[in-house]
Amino acid sequence: MLALLVVMAALTARAASAQRIDSIPPWKAEVRTIAIDERLAADAGLRVGDLVVLAHEPGSASGDTVRISAVLQRRADPSEVARSEYRIRTHLGQLQELIGYGDRVDRYAIETTGGAAADTALRRINALAFGFRAYPSREIAVETSKTFLVVSRFHRAIGMITIVASATFLLCIMLLKVDERRRDVAAMRLMGISRATVIRTVMLESSFVALLGSLFGVGLGFAVSAFVNAHYQAAYRTPLRFAIVTPGTVTYSVLLSLVLGIGAGALAARRLSRTPPLTLFGR
Amino acid sequence: MRFQLAALSLRRHASRTLLAALGVAVSAAMLLDMVMLATGMRQSFASLLGRNGFTVRVSPRGTLPFDTEATIGQARAATAAISRIPGVTAVAPVLGTTVHVLGGRDAVTAFALGVDPAVQGDYQVLEGVDPVGNALVASDALLRATGARIGDTLDVAVGFDPQLRTYTGRRRVAVSGRARFTYLSADDRAAGLPLATVQAMGGADRADRVSLFMVRTAPNVDPEAARVAIERALPRVTALSTAGAVAEAENRLSYFRQLAFILGAVSLIVGFLLVTTIVTVSVNERIGEIAIMRAIGVSRIHVVEQIVIEGIALSLAGAAVGLVLGVFTARWLNSILRGFPGLPDAIDFFLFQPNSAFRALALLVASGIAAGIYPAWRAASLPISATLREEAVG
Repeated sequence: MLALLVVMAALTARAASAQRIDSIPPWKAEVRTIAIDERLAADAGLRVGDLVVLAHEPGSASGDTVRISAVLQRRADPSEVARSEYRIRTHLGQLQELIGYGDRVDRYAIETTGGAAADTALRRINALAFGFRAYPSREIAVETSKTFLVVSRFHRAIGMITIVASATFLLCIMLLKVDERRRDVAAMRLMGISRATVIRTVMLESSFVALLGSLFGVGLGFAVSAFVNAHYQAAYRTPLRFAIVTPGTVTYSVLLSLVLGIGAGALAARRLSRTPPLTLFGR
Repeated sequence: MRFQLAALSLRRHASRTLLAALGVAVSAAMLLDMVMLATGMRQSFASLLGRNGFTVRVSPRGTLPFDTEATIGQARAATAAISRIPGVTAVAPVLGTTVHVLGGRDAVTAFALGVDPAVQGDYQVLEGVDPVGNALVASDALLRATGARIGDTLDVAVGFDPQLRTYTGRRRVAVSGRARFTYLSADDRAAGLPLATVQAMGGADRADRVSLFMVRTAPNVDPEAARVAIERALPRVTALSTAGAVAEAENRLSYFRQLAFILGAVSLIVGFLLVTTIVTVSVNERIGEIAIMRAIGVSRIHVVEQIVIEGIALSLAGAAVGLVLGVFTARWLNSILRGFPGLPDAIDFFLFQPNSAFRALALLVASGIAAGIYPAWRAASLPISATLREEAVG
């Protein structure tokens, strides 16, 4: 038997927010049942069908023997990252009884048909119900997402610094790459090829290099994001995806590297084409 | 001579050198920021918890301080039991609750701490005096929200009965002072009251109960030993030393530490690659020149040294600019992260610690040296005559 301290169990009869990954039919359960999350199941070595004692305080004599009827998979919820507590789901009355909460609940979640019905329900509850205050879900979402807005702003700032760093790196490499072609450019100019053709040729080459680099970068981006996800998902034991490569990200990165590559190529090609061919040869 | 040649070589391609140094500077700034992020959080949090000399926090078993609404019963007996433990010099009981300041159209809700003003470590009185009896010290945010001033009397309640629509635990409390709350943000509405007042306002539910104890130990006593002794004396509590609390906080903020490690490593690699590329291209361009130097008797090691000096110069210039850039970007990033709701004022995510910062930049310069060694050695090892012939023909 394992005595479990009910710390963060939510007062709710609905367990629909987590995905059930293993369960036994309710008619097979002779005692009251609970659902536990997979993290608790793994750490305590619990399985569906095991009997455990729930108590509101450690070592309490007034525990309730229950059977585990389901193991729930955690949601991909950013608010749960780095939080190490376990979650269990009980029936509402069971938890009220266990912790001596009486006929009380912390909150209700109300489903409406949507649109104007939600506003109407909100107005009527706030006008009629004693001591209740109803909030629209979007308002609560705004309040509770403040932490993630900060994290998101931080990521954006880091992203900007990274873009500046990689843009400088890219410019440097492209300038060097074009600069390496000084002898070829000199030969082309001595053969009578026009300055415009030389510039176009060098720019075409730098565009090709930038495109090739971008494609390689996209592949690397997918690989790194897979590594980051695997690492953080294992570290925080969550299905949350930490890095997502979206079509928008790919388009932005490829366009940025192409613009920088072509720009650097044009700059270097213009400089090379203006330099006398013999100087380019080092004579 | 070597330094002059290296300087000339870098000056020959001024724009390229400038761009490379700028690239290294951005990498250095990023590396510095990540080092500041990785070490700053721990240092800042440890310094916050270490204020006022409290080394152990005691909360209800299985919880962290103020993690839940759970409380410790028989607080007076518990205080006495903790005080008897050898090495314990002070015990500060704290009861946290929500209070409603009535009077206006809408009640102002605030976080209240019931404390023993003689030993508390939760606030510093900025103006006025510690609260005695039916009195409180308030944060600036609470004073602003209520429009109260020192000397005013407020109508305060600790609960609300939704059935009767009435406030419970109500009493009139005088504002005795203005205070800064150590563990709360400047925007938090907070009040500090005598513990007995908060317990009495809470009725039977709060009688002789506290949310946590803060324990001060003698300087020569290991807080960990005191922690173990407290848990042994009071089986229904969890005692957490400052080191344990810092480790717990680090665990919760480990995402940032790991992000700092990954981005720091990437910055170092980018800096290394940049210097390697620049030096390699620069060496390839000067193969003929290097062969001539070798032909007229300049030693191989001399050539290697000159090229390595170029790498060091690039890294040093980049690191110096990066240091300044890093400090500015760290301030910017810190101001973003300080937007976390409820973050104590004293917490900084980016903390400049000279030792860590200079170690990180030294690592970058060392990678710059390593970046120059291979291309330099390869160039200095080329067969002199064949290289000269190829260069003359080509």
